[in-house]
Amino acid sequence: MKHRSLFTGFLSMVLAALVLAGCANQMEPAKKAIADIEAAISAAGADASQYIPDQLQAVTGQLADLKAKFDQKDYKGVLAAAPALLTQAQGLAGAASSAKQAAEEAARAAALEALNAEWASLSGALPAQVAAIQSRVDILSKSKKLPANLDQATFDSVQAGLTEAKGLWDQANAAQASGNVEAAVAAARQVKEKADAAMAALGMTAG
Amino acid sequence: MEESNTPPGGTTPAGENPYTQWYEVQPGDTLWKIAKEHYGDGNLYTEIFKANQDTLSDPDKIKVGQKLRIP
Repeated sequence: MKHRSLFTGFLSMVLAALVLAGCANQMEPAKKAIADIEAAISAAGADASQYIPDQLQAVTGQLADLKAKFDQKDYKGVLAAAPALLTQAQGLAGAASSAKQAAEEAARAAALEALNAEWASLSGALPAQVAAIQSRVDILSKSKKLPANLDQATFDSVQAGLTEAKGLWDQANAAQASGNVEAAVAAARQVKEKADAAMAALGMTAG
Repeated sequence: MEESNTPPGGTTPAGENPYTQWYEVQPGDTLWKIAKEHYGDGNLYTEIFKANQDTLSDPDKIKVGQKLRIP
């Protein structure tokens, strides 16, 4: 009877030791699995939080659950769930990169659309504005005496500005024809600036 | 003698340059006087007359309140 009791006690101790050893055997792989997931999340970088915040939050939420399991010494549970979560975490970097690229393309498209709209507006208005200035300059050039509100130096400056504006307008059209809408708009803005200045100097109202 | 780019009726007619300058005739105005004021040379009144031939048939007959193009 005493021998049986001793044997049972010994068996219990062996079993407990085996369970503990088993747990200890799973703890390190579980720890490594969590570290691998953290490294994958980290590799996704700031782009993940900027471009795929929901996806990132889903992964970090699951990682928090995994860590809770680890703290509860549920290493088996950690190891069971870790591979799927690691796959998700490893996908973050690619998803963030794709989302970033898509956002940048959308921004470029929006900028191009804005430039095209500005070009449409400027190219619709500038020829008429320059023509109105040219008409006034042509008439004033025939005048024996300039009007009271315009001195010769200002008139000379208006004529020079008009010549520059026409040259810039040619450049703008050439840029537009070659598909460079950015350069076209930049040149057209300068034309507008010079045309507005010329109209103001001549006492004309631009609108 | 202030110019504006507001055409008669306030709306730019179709085919009209939106930057056309307009002047509203005041009591005592003549085309010569208007030209003298805007161009410095009254003899250039013909430019104003030519630009307003759709409403002017005689350069000596302008009406107070009439809006004239000042090219």
